[in-house]
Amino acid sequence: MKRAQGRGGPLSTVLGIGLLALMLFPVYWMVDASLQPAGNPLRAGWFPLHPDFGGYATALRDQGRNLVTSLVVALGSVVLSLALAAPAAYALARFRPRGTGLVLFGVLVTQMVPGIVVANALYRAYDELGLLNSHLGLILADSTAGTPFAVIVLHAFMRSIPGEIIEAARLDGAGRLRVFRSVVLPLSGNALVTAAVFTFLFAWSDFLFALTLTTTETVRPITLGIYQYLGAHTDRWNAVMATSVLASVPAAVLLVLAQRRVAAAATDGALR
Amino acid sequence: MIPPARSSVRRIAALLTGTLLLVPAATGCGAGSGSGGGDGEVTSITALDYYTDATEHAQWGEMLTECGRTVGVTVEHTSVPGASLIPKVLQQASSRTLPDLLMLDNPDVQQIARTGALAPLDEFGIDSGGFAQGILSAGSYQGSVYGLAPNVSTVALVYNKDMLDEAGVAVPRTWDELKAAAAALTRPGRYGMAVDANPTFEGTWQFLPFLWSNGGDERQLDTPQAAQALRLWVDLVNSGSMSKSVLNWTQADVHDQFVAGKTAMMINGPWRIPALNQEGNLHWGVAPVPVPQLGQAPVTPLGGEVWTVPRSPSKARQEKAARVLACLNGPANMLTAARQHFTVPSRTAVAARYAEEVPSMAAFAGSVEAARARTDELGVDWPKAATAIYTAVQSALTGERTPEEALRNAQRLATAD
Amino acid sequence: MRSGSRPPTDRFPGRLRERTAQWLFIAPAAAYLALFFGYPLVANLVMSFRRHTVTTFFTGDAPFVGLRNYASVLSSDLFPGTLLTTALFTVGSVLGQFAVGLALALFFRRRFPLGDVLRSLLLLPWLLPLVASGATWRWMLDPDSGVVNTALRGLHLSSSGVPWLTGTSQALVSVVLVNIWVGIPFNTAILYGGLRDIPTHLYEAAELDGAGPLASFRHITWPLLRPVVGVVLVLGAVYTLKVLDLVLVVTGGGPAGATETLATRSYELSFRQFDFGRGAAMSNLLVLLSLVFALAYLRAGRRARTF
Repeated sequence: MKRAQGRGGPLSTVLGIGLLALMLFPVYWMVDASLQPAGNPLRAGWFPLHPDFGGYATALRDQGRNLVTSLVVALGSVVLSLALAAPAAYALARFRPRGTGLVLFGVLVTQMVPGIVVANALYRAYDELGLLNSHLGLILADSTAGTPFAVIVLHAFMRSIPGEIIEAARLDGAGRLRVFRSVVLPLSGNALVTAAVFTFLFAWSDFLFALTLTTTETVRPITLGIYQYLGAHTDRWNAVMATSVLASVPAAVLLVLAQRRVAAAATDGALR
Repeated sequence: MIPPARSSVRRIAALLTGTLLLVPAATGCGAGSGSGGGDGEVTSITALDYYTDATEHAQWGEMLTECGRTVGVTVEHTSVPGASLIPKVLQQASSRTLPDLLMLDNPDVQQIARTGALAPLDEFGIDSGGFAQGILSAGSYQGSVYGLAPNVSTVALVYNKDMLDEAGVAVPRTWDELKAAAAALTRPGRYGMAVDANPTFEGTWQFLPFLWSNGGDERQLDTPQAAQALRLWVDLVNSGSMSKSVLNWTQADVHDQFVAGKTAMMINGPWRIPALNQEGNLHWGVAPVPVPQLGQAPVTPLGGEVWTVPRSPSKARQEKAARVLACLNGPANMLTAARQHFTVPSRTAVAARYAEEVPSMAAFAGSVEAARARTDELGVDWPKAATAIYTAVQSALTGERTPEEALRNAQRLATAD
Repeated sequence: MRSGSRPPTDRFPGRLRERTAQWLFIAPAAAYLALFFGYPLVANLVMSFRRHTVTTFFTGDAPFVGLRNYASVLSSDLFPGTLLTTALFTVGSVLGQFAVGLALALFFRRRFPLGDVLRSLLLLPWLLPLVASGATWRWMLDPDSGVVNTALRGLHLSSSGVPWLTGTSQALVSVVLVNIWVGIPFNTAILYGGLRDIPTHLYEAAELDGAGPLASFRHITWPLLRPVVGVVLVLGAVYTLKVLDLVLVVTGGGPAGATETLATRSYELSFRQFDFGRGAAMSNLLVLLSLVFALAYLRAGRRARTF
């Protein structure tokens, strides 16, 4: 009896785990380093035989608020980027107004601008607008990475939605917005999640805007907060690694949930 | 009946305007940055440095708060990562939002002072007497003092006492002794000597003691003296006494290697001492950097961060900041900071007292007197020469060029437009 | 067929309304991007035509020097080497990331227990701060004490280990490897999404016709994946050209400049030499290079759309 098309068995799982172990070995090494006493990374043997949880204690004590900041900024960035990008991508893919090529080109060009150039310009503007040290400011800034990317990716996917489905909805009297919301968005589930995931990652891993657009400790994403352990004269790598590992856990959980949710929805949407 | 197309246009337009209105509402009452103009009563000033490490940050924060208290202000203390300080300063300079009190690494003072962003300290009647010549020179530009450092530091040779005893090797004082000792101390899994030779200004910093002690000079890099200094490092690597990985190591990496027992000697600074002391089994000693010939005095580069007062429209704020600066540079605070961070007080008299108090720092305290500021001769042109120096070191240690060729090339780079 | 007829006079405003509606979809994004990117891009361009030093930040004085910054950058003897390194770094990274990403995406296409979790965990390299993962790679690749060489020596694949970070050619390989590692999640996720959108009934039909896995890849997967492949490659190239922090953390641009790219040189010119005019010129050259990739992508996309 043939296995269902495209399904793998437990052997695939084993292979998958093996591949992942290979890919993520550096992450294991970071965990190993995080358990070293006094954080001398050279002491790390293959196994942390005498784990020292000092790094984790420090990280938990200091970085709670920064972790929340990072999560808020990253999630906010996702919402903003998708809200801006999805309609634009749809219009570019579907309506193809004159100048589509130019707009897409412009979007691509934004991806080429070095971050420091944008950061410098934003600093002056933010200072005058009072957006420094604010969650909103960081959300706006971090979306500069996610929005163009989302436009490009969503555009690529939306181009392949069959025209008949749209026509059918329009004939039923649905307005453009309704078509967009009730027909196109659900169909683009995969693409939306991909764009969302990467927007989240861009914002999560941003250091430049975090550094430039904050001057106090009140709003400090974890990429900047981690420098509490890297000073001018001392380095506490165990705390650095512990913070990195701890910070990744909630973010990883969110990502797993997001991908699960949509994988389920995609198989339900039996339009294919 | 409204045709569907029109209504969707309306709806989209409504969404848009709603969003646009939301933005200013959300940003709402933006708190302006603290630097209010006007000469009203100043109750708070801002300070910026690069002491991001939690402990250091707390220690400096306490000192700033204390000094602020004596002057009648609170100090908002912010720290950014080391490499990001100058970009931050430049951003703030262009938007006129520099802090009231700014810490700068001493080689950067010339560049920033030249822009006119800093106020000369004699405007505030700050006494700069009794400071070591090197740090005074580093913090000055065109004859005026712009910055004062409470503490300075330099580098020295740190060695593992047990390893030297076991190999029967005396602490090297000259270059030849260094080469011999390093060779004798090298074992499988352990090198005799380690330095930081990486392609950053840190690498240049570590090479300077060797360059200068041999009579080399940053104004003219392609001299025989400079080539000899570079050849010392090249010989150490080629003979296997020093790892080739020095090309990549930071001073922190060199420290880690030493602590892990992978190198018997290293060139490093006194700020490592707290970490060294944490290692129970490590018996370390400090000696001056080896010199070419016996009897010569080592010439080492001056490290240390100065505090400056950026110009601002508010004279009152500048006054307060200057008084806090003077307080930070007072003898008592110098000693406190020195004890906390294992650096050397900048005032000669205070340094002498300190050397008596903390014998392990005696070698460093002595070297600081003769230490030379990196910007002493070249001023604002130092970054070019510094880049040329580490380029030469990298080139020679990889074997790409001979020391002489590397330095010739470096001289060309340093003097190119 | 829509019932009812619109009066003829409405047809003209109808088309205008239609166009307006379309542009309203695009307007928010366009406004946001113009605001956040337009000014910085122009400012950077202007900076590259002036002699912009540290003093400029404070006083605003920057004499116009025309193309001198560009001439100086292009005629420097370091430039050809930097360009070559940048090209090798970009091509190596993009191809490597793509190949591994595609392989993993194909692997994960089959649904198996824990597949989703594993696929999400693959994103971990991006969740970790670069300062931490960069440092980890630096320790792992250290020729003396790094775990990679220890493993190679243990497996007798190399007697003395590879000089990952100290050899001039090996160092470039090292940063390419690390960049590939960082870029794999990006490629895998997008390619996976593209693969999922290919209707399974096509594969079933192909199987009934007797096509093997290689044939169905060549005739079904690859053609239908092309638009996504294009996106991934062009974005991969553009992002790789910008990579700065990774190289700085792992090798600092060394040894002896073996891993200096246009991006790292631009940073050094601006923030070590304080020569912002030349730094801006260098970074604009980088943008120019990215534009080449972008044009190629759009050209290819236009061709595809005519199908």
